[in-house]
Amino acid sequence: MSSTHTSHDCDANETSARRDFLKQLAAAGAATLGMSAPRALANDFGTIAHPTATADSCILIWLAGGMAAPETFDPKTYHPFEVGMPVDRMLSTFPSIDTAVDQIKICKGLENIASVMDRGTLIRSAVQPDLGSILHSRHQYHWHTGYVPPQTVAAPHLGAWMAKVLGPNNPVMPPFINIGQRLEGVGEKEELKAFTTAGFFGSEFGPMNLPYAEQAARAVQPPEGISSQRFADRDRLFRRLVDQSPGRDLASDFHRDSILRSMDNAYRLLSSDDRRAFDITAETPESLQKYDTGRFGRGCLLARRLVDAGARFVEVTTEYVPFLHWDTHNSGHETVARLHGEIDQPIAQLIRDLDANGRLDRTLVVIASEFSRDAMIEGRPGSSANDQATFKVDKVTEPKHYGLHRHFTGGTSVMMFGGGIKRGGLYGSTAPERPLVAIENPVSVMDLHATIMTAMGISPKTGFDIEGRPFYVTKDGQGRAVTELFG
Amino acid sequence: MSYLIPVVVLLSASICVGVTNADFAHDVAPILQAHCVQCHGGNEAQGGFSMNTRELFLESDAAVPGKPESSHFLELIGSADQEERMPPVDQPGLSPAEIKTLREWVASGMDWDDGLTFSLDSYQAPLRLFDVSLLGPDGWHPIDQLLFGNSSSDSTDTEFVHATAPKLPARVADNLFVRRVSLDLIGLLPDQDQLRAFTGDSSRDRHTNLIESLLARDLDYAEHWLTFWNDLLRNDYTGTGFITGGRKQITNWLYAALVRNEPYDEFTRQLIAPPTDASTGFIDGIKWRGEVSAGQTLPIQFSQSVSQAFLGINMKCASCHDSFIDQWKLDDAYGLAAVYANEPLDVFRCDKPTGRQATAAWLFPELGSIDAAAPRAQRLSQLANLMTSPDNARFARTISNRIWGQLFGRGLIHPLDAMHLRPENETLLELLAHRLVDHGYDLKDLIRFITTSRAYQTGSTSLQETDIGQSTETPHQIRSLTPTAKRMTAEQFVDNAWRITGTAPIKFDAPIIRSSQSESSELPEVTLQAGWIWGESAAAGQLPPGNETVTLRYSFDLAADVDAAIATVTADNAFQLFIGNRLIARSEDWTKPQAIPLTGLLKKGKNTLVIVATNYADRPNLAGVYFEARVRLSDGSETRLRSGTDWQSSSATSAIREDRLGKTPGPWKPATIVSGNSVHQARVGTLLKQQLATLDANPDKMVRAALMKNDFLMRTLGRPGREQIVSSRAAGMTTLEAIELSNGADLAYIVSAGAENLLNRTSVDRSAGEDHAIFDHAAFSNSLFRRAFGRNANSGELEILQQQLGRSPTSAQVEDVIWAVLMSPEFWIVR
Repeated sequence: MSSTHTSHDCDANETSARRDFLKQLAAAGAATLGMSAPRALANDFGTIAHPTATADSCILIWLAGGMAAPETFDPKTYHPFEVGMPVDRMLSTFPSIDTAVDQIKICKGLENIASVMDRGTLIRSAVQPDLGSILHSRHQYHWHTGYVPPQTVAAPHLGAWMAKVLGPNNPVMPPFINIGQRLEGVGEKEELKAFTTAGFFGSEFGPMNLPYAEQAARAVQPPEGISSQRFADRDRLFRRLVDQSPGRDLASDFHRDSILRSMDNAYRLLSSDDRRAFDITAETPESLQKYDTGRFGRGCLLARRLVDAGARFVEVTTEYVPFLHWDTHNSGHETVARLHGEIDQPIAQLIRDLDANGRLDRTLVVIASEFSRDAMIEGRPGSSANDQATFKVDKVTEPKHYGLHRHFTGGTSVMMFGGGIKRGGLYGSTAPERPLVAIENPVSVMDLHATIMTAMGISPKTGFDIEGRPFYVTKDGQGRAVTELFG
Repeated sequence: MSYLIPVVVLLSASICVGVTNADFAHDVAPILQAHCVQCHGGNEAQGGFSMNTRELFLESDAAVPGKPESSHFLELIGSADQEERMPPVDQPGLSPAEIKTLREWVASGMDWDDGLTFSLDSYQAPLRLFDVSLLGPDGWHPIDQLLFGNSSSDSTDTEFVHATAPKLPARVADNLFVRRVSLDLIGLLPDQDQLRAFTGDSSRDRHTNLIESLLARDLDYAEHWLTFWNDLLRNDYTGTGFITGGRKQITNWLYAALVRNEPYDEFTRQLIAPPTDASTGFIDGIKWRGEVSAGQTLPIQFSQSVSQAFLGINMKCASCHDSFIDQWKLDDAYGLAAVYANEPLDVFRCDKPTGRQATAAWLFPELGSIDAAAPRAQRLSQLANLMTSPDNARFARTISNRIWGQLFGRGLIHPLDAMHLRPENETLLELLAHRLVDHGYDLKDLIRFITTSRAYQTGSTSLQETDIGQSTETPHQIRSLTPTAKRMTAEQFVDNAWRITGTAPIKFDAPIIRSSQSESSELPEVTLQAGWIWGESAAAGQLPPGNETVTLRYSFDLAADVDAAIATVTADNAFQLFIGNRLIARSEDWTKPQAIPLTGLLKKGKNTLVIVATNYADRPNLAGVYFEARVRLSDGSETRLRSGTDWQSSSATSAIREDRLGKTPGPWKPATIVSGNSVHQARVGTLLKQQLATLDANPDKMVRAALMKNDFLMRTLGRPGREQIVSSRAAGMTTLEAIELSNGADLAYIVSAGAENLLNRTSVDRSAGEDHAIFDHAAFSNSLFRRAFGRNANSGELEILQQQLGRSPTSAQVEDVIWAVLMSPEFWIVR
């Protein structure tokens, strides 16, 4: 039994043996009830001992919708399309190719990523719970917060944890930036909003949402039609009026101070040079071209610029829209072939650029999705989850049948680069034949989070007291970093 | 920090059970007290381990009575491992003699004196209301008598005896009072006429008169307090759950209840034991498909929501294990959950089954009980009655404290959901609760009672950074007895920005009927155009058979978007209305036609309505469905939808799952006009007309932010997602908010469209020709300042504005002035 746990361990059998330095002040807990003022949990010696950070920034590349591992990072036996082929023969619909690491092969179409495989570690054994019904919304919520919805308090996104615990890397750069996901005008938008939030930390730690990379510059510019001169004049007018207002002498007025301080911060960002980081048109045409496979590619470029300028956490996604992109319920092969084209070049270029300017060593890049896909199995083998396949056929008779169209939670690939992660590593594996479950070193969402947080210098046991109860960055403070992943 | 030091409290005479070598109270408790309870007793439960009671001690498996060798805590206190030893190495360990005493105590069965606990001597509010006596002076408001009636008692200067009569504090300046009370009661800044009328009024009762006039504005009142209730009941127009039918709105019900000022006890009964579908959304919670943790099943959500909203009890701890911070236990949480549960409810501790089943129960058995064997509807109804019983003082205190918190910026018990704490002024809270109960749970009356006190009408104090997160238990900086300055909510900011700039949207999202009962009789009369219809069985004047269910459907095209629409529906005997196969409304009482807001449910292009109607009784009898809707389109035209022969009927019905209608098989025949329904028409005709007439109610009334879906601007400004109950919003402004306010599109539109509107309104002297037009900057500035701040601009401000605006300001220059005014702390803060 470890003696340094700071967790609120709910398991009665283990509780008594755990020395838990949780500062469970009831008075403090009561004080935060119903208020957005969570209190950091500490131990008797002061604060929780955080690990030494191996990364200062984190980029999460989110392939939303359920990326089939056998079609990307974990190729199995390849069977080309053939009219009448039995569905159970479909394991991979792409042949495999060599990568820069001898022992690792990935799917054809990802040649650029293959060429940078020696700069990161591939995890092939990530697993997710079934949750009884495989819904993108719940699995995405779980993946982004570490908690399965619904929850009694609003769970913060992992970017919000970094924003709260670490703060910004560069004081004028928002610490949590979310690129490529629209939160309006798309299906399941409310479910997306439910985890794209700082939750109980309050909006100060919430995401800056930039759905279109090419429009990001606008988010940090004066409003359209207002020149920078006018913007400066407007700010001066505001300050002069505030100085003249009769309430100006009220000392230590929290409301007033917080308004003036925040307006000041906003003005600084919106008029600082750092905001050029949001403008991808400032790149040379050659550089832009290396990334520009579409919205996602431009998002990767923006992510790189933001990290260069000192962003703390950036998520960039191919975007979740039900039945689009990686949510391949039919024509999986054709769709994934297109998606390969969208992600291969920009992801590889991002890694190369970060590596070339020396930032990769302190930037953790994670490529992940809420679950994998399979041609036969919904959830995990033996799952009672509703099969949500749009068609169920025994034989492939049309091209739209060719591909992996069901949600699979038994074995998923996650790629990690930089930020202290081993170069050229491979961790875990899935079975060569169906069911393609993780057969070695399974990694849960919780432990994956613990690994990410550990790299960022945040103890997986970090917790806050909210409404009188402890709430941890990994559930009950139980996440354990996978130490083998670090170099 | 004395409140942190646990004390041993003997609640009853100690009774030793069995023969022991170690006497618990004299030998064992002092050891635990000296070495353990600082971290594992009182409010502390480090490692999730509390030894407040024997039960808690054993529950954590730290000890097994009679088996010292299996008692882990003995291992830890005796451990040689520095890492493992308890207490931690920076504190002295137990002596061998002490360890021996504890070992013997465990070996002999761990006797524990009845009633002995290491928990704090915490405040216990009496279950029932206690009497409050007022000491005068007579003629003073009761609240003021309590707070200011005995002024010398506050003095710490014992040598100086106050001989002076008690004095009321001075009122706040008129303009600040009007601004505050208007924002607090109806959420809107006062208009200039109101301000002038008030300041010009010399009557003694002008403060009370203003309060009365504000409270009489039923819709404005409802549309302001809707925000508070939506937060507290987690009701919204969009959000998680709706997409899968796992969540229902109560908006129409809630809005109507606020407009008619439904007594709070009846209001609560309708939420806990809904008489119709309209208010079931609160107890039905939010259901996600798939498996959820045991702490978030619908029955547990019910337990948590009911406890928090109505009693200020945090049942979230106890939903998982016995609470470490208050008295509630796992069985309390599950007992309440079992009131709601449809099926036997297994008790889980920390997501693991205990093997026990929950028994429906109520939290305060002293006040009555629930018959666990009764059917669900009866259990809910029993709970509703126990909750709202005048004996249940906590119910009245909780809402009184919330209302005080809304008006004073801080609860008498703070935080508002920690009702186990001692109120800052216990007598005052009791006075409020009495007032509520004695006046028929009339919330408007309670608001009137509080706001007419001098205590409310005095100057406010500003919130200090150190106040954030402080509770009533914290001994410093408590300010709940004088008003604390508040920050405008997202809705207040947006409403008032719209109002000042004239940029409110013309249609709203909330499915409500924006009319009060009293107004509907004054609306222009509407003629009814629909017929009573049924299926084939009513053809040729036949009486349809009893127990028959028919499906009626109507498809139609709308040429433009819908600005507003209202339907009135009834059926003899029962109906369910579906739009787009989604259940919209139902009723089983044909004498009460349902008025259903259809705005947002109908769209441009093809729409399909389906009504599934049932005729009761075992013999043929009169049946019929009446549907009529008025739809106002964005092109200004109005369309009627009416039940008639262009509807189709089928005698088949389809399954309804999660409130969605499956595909109904045919054959489809034209609907039959029912004959002989004069009885129907006579009974409900007038109501049908009145309901349809409400489309004409308040056409020019400004749309309020609370009636709109949550948007980016409001979300940024702190309007919550309402997946969880929220009883107070954040006080500070964040950088992300400021960025949105500085360059967000929503506010930019308000400011730019507002500049045009304001310029058009301001007089420009063009007597010397267009080139020499003179802009009256003082009139413009004063008008804007009066609207925003309730005062004219001072000379310094006028000078700045004159420089900014010049002789002939551009829209851009005006925009920047509007923006600077809206960003001003003076605008945001409600003093």
